[in-house]
Amino acid sequence: MKNKAIFLRILKLVKPHAVLIVLSLLCAVGNVFSALFIPVLTGRAIDEMIGEGRVSFENIRHILTLFLIAFLVNAATVWLMTLINNRITFKVVRDLRRDLFAKLHSVPIFYMDSLGHGDLLSRIVSDVERLSDGLLLGFSQLFTGILTIVATLVFMVRINLWIALAVMVLTPLSLFAASFISKKTFKYFKAQAALQGGLTSFINETIGAVRVVKTFGYEKEENEEFNKKNEEFAKTNLKALFFSSTTNPVTRFVNSMVYAAVGILGAFLGVAGKITVGTLTCFLSYANQYTKPFNEISGVITEFQNAIACAGRIFELMDAKDFVDTVTDPVEAPKLTGDIEVKDLAFSYDKSKKLLYDISFHAAPGSHIAIVGPTGCGKTTFINLMMRFFEPDAGTILYDGIESDRIRRNELRTNIGMVLQDTWLKEGSVFENIAYGKPDATKEEVMEAAKKSHAHSFISRLENGYDTVLAPDGGNLSAGQKQLLCIARVMLALPPILILDEATSSIDTRTESKITKAFQTLMEGRTSFIVAHRLSTIRNADLILVMKDGNIIEQGTHDELLVKKGFYYQMLNSR
Amino acid sequence: MKKLLKYLNNYRLECAVAPSFKMLEALFELFVPLVMTKIIDEGITAGNTRIIVKNGIMLVLLAFIGLTCSLTAQYFAARAAIGFAKGVRSSLYEKILGFSYENIDRIGQSSLITRITNDISQVQNGVNMVLRLLLRSPFIVFGAMIMAFTINVKAALIFVVMIPLLFLAVFTVTLVTIPMYKKIQRTLDKLTGHIRENLTGSRVVRAFNAGEREKETFNKENDHLLHASLVTSRVSAILNPATVIIVNASMLILIASGANLVNEGTLTNGQVYALVNYMSQILVELVKFANLMITINKSLASASRISETLDIENALKDEGTVDALGLEDTDEIIRFEDVHFAYPGTGASFVEGMSFSVKPGQTIGIIGGTGSGKSTLASLLMRFYDTDSGHIYYKGKDIKELSLSTYRKCFSSVPQKAQLFSGTLRDNLLVADPSATDEEMLTAIRLAEAENVVFAKGEGLDMKINEGSTNLSGGQRQRLTIARALVRKAPILILDDSSSALDYATDSRLRANLKTLTDKTVFIISQRVISVKNSDKILVLDDGDIAGFGTHDELFENCPVYREICDSQDTKGEESL
Repeated sequence: MKNKAIFLRILKLVKPHAVLIVLSLLCAVGNVFSALFIPVLTGRAIDEMIGEGRVSFENIRHILTLFLIAFLVNAATVWLMTLINNRITFKVVRDLRRDLFAKLHSVPIFYMDSLGHGDLLSRIVSDVERLSDGLLLGFSQLFTGILTIVATLVFMVRINLWIALAVMVLTPLSLFAASFISKKTFKYFKAQAALQGGLTSFINETIGAVRVVKTFGYEKEENEEFNKKNEEFAKTNLKALFFSSTTNPVTRFVNSMVYAAVGILGAFLGVAGKITVGTLTCFLSYANQYTKPFNEISGVITEFQNAIACAGRIFELMDAKDFVDTVTDPVEAPKLTGDIEVKDLAFSYDKSKKLLYDISFHAAPGSHIAIVGPTGCGKTTFINLMMRFFEPDAGTILYDGIESDRIRRNELRTNIGMVLQDTWLKEGSVFENIAYGKPDATKEEVMEAAKKSHAHSFISRLENGYDTVLAPDGGNLSAGQKQLLCIARVMLALPPILILDEATSSIDTRTESKITKAFQTLMEGRTSFIVAHRLSTIRNADLILVMKDGNIIEQGTHDELLVKKGFYYQMLNSR
Repeated sequence: MKKLLKYLNNYRLECAVAPSFKMLEALFELFVPLVMTKIIDEGITAGNTRIIVKNGIMLVLLAFIGLTCSLTAQYFAARAAIGFAKGVRSSLYEKILGFSYENIDRIGQSSLITRITNDISQVQNGVNMVLRLLLRSPFIVFGAMIMAFTINVKAALIFVVMIPLLFLAVFTVTLVTIPMYKKIQRTLDKLTGHIRENLTGSRVVRAFNAGEREKETFNKENDHLLHASLVTSRVSAILNPATVIIVNASMLILIASGANLVNEGTLTNGQVYALVNYMSQILVELVKFANLMITINKSLASASRISETLDIENALKDEGTVDALGLEDTDEIIRFEDVHFAYPGTGASFVEGMSFSVKPGQTIGIIGGTGSGKSTLASLLMRFYDTDSGHIYYKGKDIKELSLSTYRKCFSSVPQKAQLFSGTLRDNLLVADPSATDEEMLTAIRLAEAENVVFAKGEGLDMKINEGSTNLSGGQRQRLTIARALVRKAPILILDDSSSALDYATDSRLRANLKTLTDKTVFIISQRVISVKNSDKILVLDDGDIAGFGTHDELFENCPVYREICDSQDTKGEESL
């Protein structure tokens, strides 16, 4: 997307707040003019105090009344402006995050997988934050900045052309100085960022693998290496930090020079009777503040460039194609029996590489189907197709004779229960987690499901039983306990079709036997697909699908396959 | 924070110069309005052009001196801050590498990394800002007030009232909002956690059709965040108008009373200008000061985390003096005698009364479920933790009498987590033995069945390994970590569940290769019967206890726990996919 297009879309985002924006701009106008009016009034007041016995109190009272009005207007407008701008940006942020989060639930799963979770997260969290910072600054400083510059110029030219010219010529100098420094600094910052990156990765790596370092007694070497990097980093860091910190003094210096020039020139004009002392003081205070809006605007521009880049990423996610559920001739809320027929199913992400093809088989209601094969053979892809996380490129899956694309995804999924190896639990109570698929479940139902899943005993031993709040990702449970909870979650819903993934390792024997028993209870009378590793499971299956390189190369029962002496037979004998 | 101050010791000069020059700059800044007053009163009003030129030059001069002073100050402040950060970073790194496992467990690796990266930057920034501004801002504020007194005492009294009012406004708002901003951050963290959860669980959420519910919860949290942000911004929005009103109201009073004083003849209009100017200066500085407070607040929190880390005592005492590498061979290389151990902070004892002994050259299999104590046993053996009671002997000597660095050299191990460092493969293998030759490394690679990994890419030992080993698969990584362990010529080799990512054929070839290392005592830790079945002896662990110690056949007959494990892995551990 082009920057201009992005900008236009940002405008669209804030469009619902048009009334507030107009109000904010009006406030800004009032704010700028009142701010610029105050020095004029101060100057006028000073002009009314010529010397002993020559003070016009009548006029001063009049001026001070205006002064009071001016600063009250100034205070009121700055207050309103801040409130309005914050309101607009925070609301835009809220709406963006809401829409982006909803988007997460409508894009295809593989879109999320391919973009990476970290990337998506940073779009919704930090990119939105950066965009809002840019917006806020843009609202609050860009317009007021430009207005201040223009209005000051007009004010100055109207009061005295010569001094105005001096200010106009000298002020850009400070901007040049600032941009010179920032270019210089940028170079060092880049070098610093590179070194810092190196240092951080080194820290990440050695502290992340501190056990390896200690195992091989490599502490001394790593320390030396670190000190070398640290030293190098500090050198560049000093340059970057010093040069960047010169911006303020240099700007201040140029400002002082402008101040001096205005002072001298003004004084001569004063002596010549062209301007009054009050006018000079007004000029001096303008000169003092004149660089400020310039600096602010250049700050806003940098921030805005960032914001545009962030907005680009946000809109990209927003525009990602939805995974639309196009059902033709839908069958309303089918209650499936578990008869599944798969015909010539094929799928690939990249059309040049076949990921899964020619998958055909039939599963009778209540039968148990074991899927075996080496990693990368397409087992996971097959599951994704069954759940309609992906849509097949060719072929069909028939549930009770109904083509899968005639069943709404939501309704299909209520008929399928899934227990995967990567056990996902949400941050919430044990109860909430078990009732995840059936939020209106009663306490009794949840406990019943937990008992059937052999999870009840460990849950009762938890500090608060079913009300124990799990850490993110079930952090306070063991891998086996997490698996048991995932089983209980499905046990509660008890759908007619199951997809189960047998654990391979890292679960202790006792828990593993509980899981096996729980699986057996679950599978009773249900069509079950098991990604199997245990020989007993495979042997007891009604149908074994042997997969390799995206294809079913053999299918049948254990005995049939042994007789065949094919890949399955070899696999068993290579033990 | 106090503890960290010693890292500024080498930068005393910088720490003195930076604020002094900042104050000097401030002092010159305070003179500017006085010079201008002179121009107005003695130059314009009296029509004296010489005074104007003289004082005009003075203004330019003040600008130059100001620039010089502040550049000097910035430079020295930067030097001190960076030197300080460098010193802290170096000590902290050394401290962390020296930590025992117990220390690391307690704090956590990611938290340690944050401390040495973010926290140190935060503190560096704090030191820099404090050196630059902490003295300057109050100096200008009070300097301006004193200057006002030198001009006119009556008028200066307005300053005496205004300054505390400004202070009050600026600091109340700042201090009130600091915790509010923290609350916003917490709400945002929660929101972030929720998003992350939905990303990792995308399949489960869809499988249970829970999308709508997740959205509802999210929207609620999102609205909370909006609410918190709005409330906070309402408070912080008070600051700006409040200062505008305080300063301008003071100016109004100043002009009104100034008019009287001028009329009396005790004040000139140039002086009124100077007073007005001082008021604006005070406002600018106070706002800077408030921002400084926020920075200081942040860096103090970081500083306390850092000094807390530096203060941690190493849980493992290295007081042994005997050189483990020089010990005479005995017929028992390792002996555990009634070892008890509990993980720190858990209270419950984990290993209870463990005793066994191992002869040199034996291969010992260690089996048991997760949490049975297998890895703990390895950690105790290598003295990453100390036993709570009981003793471990190496070649007849209590390992606590041995110097830690020589004792660890007696081991070579393959940790459960296959971690390699970025760099070349050679760099990685040299970690195990800096003196290893290419020949030796290639032999180790062959023994580890990693030849096809190394030579598939055609770069041999110069093969590049990415950060996080992203260019290697789990199995490749595992084989290279085994090769690394084999490079080291240590008498004892420990393999901690290190063939889990290997297929059976590779695993069995690997085990056959290890059999040829007859001079090494090997510990193989595994969950799989097949990996330990052919060991000279198998140690069966169950809940931190030894459930059996013997050969496969003996244990299969007599040890019910071992039998159960074998059964769960399908009879004799031979048939499992």
